[in-house]
Amino acid sequence: MSSERPDRSDRVELLQGTLDLIVLRALATMGPLHAYGIAARLEQVSDHPFTLNQGTLYPALVRLEQRGWIKGAWQKTEHNRDAKYYAITKAGTKALGREADRWRRLVGLVNKLLLAEPD
Amino acid sequence: MRRVLLRLMNVMGPARAEREAEREIEAHLALIKEDFQARGMTEAEAQRRARLSLGGLQQVKERHGDARTIVWLDDARRDAGYGIRVLRRNPIFALTATASLAIGIGATATIFGAANALLLRTAPGVSEPDRLVEITETNGSFGIHPMSYPNLLDVRDRATTLEGVFGYDLNLRPMSLRVQGDAGAEAIFGDVVTMNYFTVLGVRAAIGRVFGAEDSERLDASPIVVLSDRFWERRFAKNSSVVGQTLRLNDHAFTIVGVAASDFHGTTVGSPDVWVPAGETPFVDRGYDAREFGWGLAGARLKPGVSVGHAAAEMNALARALARDYPAENRGLTLGVSRSSPIPAGLRLLVAGFLTFLMMLVSVVLAIACANVAGVLLARAAARRREMAIRLAIGAGRGRLVRQLLVETMVLFAVACAAGLWLAHGMTALLLSTLPAFPIPVDVSLPLDGRVTAFTIGVSLVTSLLSGLAPALHASKANVVDALKDGVQGAAERLRARHGFVVGQVAFSVLLVVTAGLLVRALGRASSVDQGFDPHGVEAVTLDLTLGGYTRESGPLFVRDLVGRVRELPGVQAAAAAFAAPNDRLTGFSLSIPGRTSPRGESSVQAVGNIVTPGFFATTRIEIVAGRDFNSDDGSARPVVIVGESAARQFWPGARVQDVLGREIVWNPFIDRSGQTAPPHAAFAGTTLTVVGVARDLRSSDAGDVRPFVYIPFQQQYSPDVTLLARTVHGERVANDLRTLIARMNPNLPIVSDRTLEEQTGPVVVQLRVAAAIAASVGAVGLLLAGIGIYGVTAYAVARRAREIGIRVAVGARRADVMALVIGEAMSLVAVGAGAGLLLASGVGHLLGRFLYGVPPLDPLTFASSALLFIAVGLIACYVPVRRAMRISAMEALRCD
Repeated sequence: MSSERPDRSDRVELLQGTLDLIVLRALATMGPLHAYGIAARLEQVSDHPFTLNQGTLYPALVRLEQRGWIKGAWQKTEHNRDAKYYAITKAGTKALGREADRWRRLVGLVNKLLLAEPD
Repeated sequence: MRRVLLRLMNVMGPARAEREAEREIEAHLALIKEDFQARGMTEAEAQRRARLSLGGLQQVKERHGDARTIVWLDDARRDAGYGIRVLRRNPIFALTATASLAIGIGATATIFGAANALLLRTAPGVSEPDRLVEITETNGSFGIHPMSYPNLLDVRDRATTLEGVFGYDLNLRPMSLRVQGDAGAEAIFGDVVTMNYFTVLGVRAAIGRVFGAEDSERLDASPIVVLSDRFWERRFAKNSSVVGQTLRLNDHAFTIVGVAASDFHGTTVGSPDVWVPAGETPFVDRGYDAREFGWGLAGARLKPGVSVGHAAAEMNALARALARDYPAENRGLTLGVSRSSPIPAGLRLLVAGFLTFLMMLVSVVLAIACANVAGVLLARAAARRREMAIRLAIGAGRGRLVRQLLVETMVLFAVACAAGLWLAHGMTALLLSTLPAFPIPVDVSLPLDGRVTAFTIGVSLVTSLLSGLAPALHASKANVVDALKDGVQGAAERLRARHGFVVGQVAFSVLLVVTAGLLVRALGRASSVDQGFDPHGVEAVTLDLTLGGYTRESGPLFVRDLVGRVRELPGVQAAAAAFAAPNDRLTGFSLSIPGRTSPRGESSVQAVGNIVTPGFFATTRIEIVAGRDFNSDDGSARPVVIVGESAARQFWPGARVQDVLGREIVWNPFIDRSGQTAPPHAAFAGTTLTVVGVARDLRSSDAGDVRPFVYIPFQQQYSPDVTLLARTVHGERVANDLRTLIARMNPNLPIVSDRTLEEQTGPVVVQLRVAAAIAASVGAVGLLLAGIGIYGVTAYAVARRAREIGIRVAVGARRADVMALVIGEAMSLVAVGAGAGLLLASGVGHLLGRFLYGVPPLDPLTFASSALLFIAVGLIACYVPVRRAMRISAMEALRCD
């Protein structure tokens, strides 16, 4: 019940923790978004058919909100619907910088390893 | 931290967070739908796709939830909620289980509360109790006994690990309080303490001041006194003008310097009215300079950071030094250090032993209650096997299921724990009410403090795990395939476990009932035992003649005068005075029999003795079997003695009682090392006494054995401690007449205590009474629970075997056969349980041994009636299931699936 099962399809699997980074990034560039808006944004920026199971966004949103990196508030959409908009906080912006840095280092390391090893 | 808090908040108030999440997901769905519709899909299609892309609504919510709260805590909350619902659905089970557990838990909490108040905590009202210790002196074979004043001063001066050493008197001292305008004197109880008593304990004054450095320890300093808060309230209505006034104690003027803080009642259970500094009590004839004389108890405060062990090591060395410096008085001296508690070290073992016995009794009833609950849970586990199997099949972990079942059990125990704590208040009051009136003021409040609460919660937790684990493991062991098929598998094993629980319940209940029976029988024997005198209708008034200013010369005259006047009171049939009442603790004498040495070569023999006026034997109705009572002519000119029958037999083996008359006994000098109430002997030592009478032996209701007795006439041996005995014609009370009479004769002489001989009971009888009351109550609860257990398992057996019984009926079994079948099964459990219980009880009987007053440990009456009782309970418990079984028809058997 509590374990997250990996999706089987050919969807790009997200590394543990990267979703948080992506969400933060999206909120930093786009300003406040609701969950669906975030999902749409992710689909839009990925050239690969990156179809996210939108449900998986929620644990990330809750996690980020609990850390105080984002803040949610109920607002009206342009079609006058209620939706919970998430905005990045100051702490979130700082964290984004930190996390992005770490990510780049990690990617660099993985790349180096991949290049060093013959296929 | 913030996250943990948020999560915790979500565990506490999940409903709000869940609603919020639901609303958000709804909004999300709506947004996707809107988008898809905008791209030209139909509403239904858009709805379906929306749900698809969100990935299963419930799953989303659960994931949402998982991230939101601490999962296991949330699970526990859900399980607890489920547990409460299950309990609500079975109110009868919930009620009996909670009630029985609450009684068991409450009883253990009560006994632990008593142990905590008496043994584990320091007396209330002192500061930094963790550093307070007692210093106990032992000397050779004497055991723990009071320390001499010079030794106390040496310990105080030489100790480096102790911050302060104080001394106090264990026995509260009766003092005569004379208030202007009152008819007579009132006896109040004071404790004699060293001047640093309050400062070392860290007790402050409510008003005025306590003893302090400014007070001189010189014997001739002007006498001062500190009042207890209770005494201040009782006698002075908390009037603060008392500070500086004089209090006339034992006809001496004491200046009241202050009142001690209201929460301080002394360092022991004895709760004094006043505190008087040692050294300045002119009426206290105890030797402050005698190193061989036991003066009082010593307490001390450890220096910060010093452990008890460290201090004990120093005391050990100090004791050796004291023994070296004063070899005559301190030979074999040892000093021990122990944490301070209201029961002083010398008595702690005794009290602890008794409380342990009570704890065992109440633990047994708790065990029975647990077995009862475990049995019912096991039955429920069987019913829920299918549910468990399904949950296992769809992937729930076994650990998760066990956890759920345990949490359900814990809900039950949590309710029982709360109820038990509540019950413990009432039970504590009940326990205190079984105690007799104390001759001195005592502080026996048994507060249910944090430690008792923690203990109770701990006990509930442990017992809930113990009684919940077996059923939980059993239920979660479901073999998925078998359980889903029909759920029969495991029935035999489960039944065995249930039978085991019932057998255990019966065995433990039998144990309790037999113990209660033995104790009640012993109590009956102890109170009806022929003590050798007739206690009915005898008023006993205790006086301390020194309080009235009497001396060795004036005392005997006053006593003769008093006894004469009491005899003339209306309603009084006979009167006499004695050192002690016949059922009091008597003093020990050391005697020599001329021309005879004991088998061990000692020339002296020990006897217990009493000092009595003429008329004592008539007043107490102790039969004189040979010779005569003392008369007014007996005195120092020709010293005489009356001996008990067994003393006569022991001193002059083979002699007939008539032959004993005229024989002689030599009084030995005797030093009472313990400093306890012993009459002064010195002037009397070495006297030869002639036997003028032989009296019937006294049997102490406490010890049950017979000791050699000797009686000395009061004219011959003065004792300032006097008990006035008055036998009335019709058993009426004359205490008030005696009080008026004494007040008229000497307004300064207070009555220390008054009672009838009948109501006076020794400490062992009191213990017996408390133990019997507790054993009987828990025995009754145990009996009831065992009955419920037998009923439960029999009813279950009948339900399970309905089909079999139906078939038996179909092939011709008679009702009597069915009855025999059901009763046979139930009673075999009772038989096994009762057998085991009787076996256990025989062990307890031997353990109680000498407290049983000659009731044999395997008392046939008690054992047989207990066995019969359980057969009766078993049959009653079977009644309803048997009726049900006998009504099963062949048709029913076929119908039942």
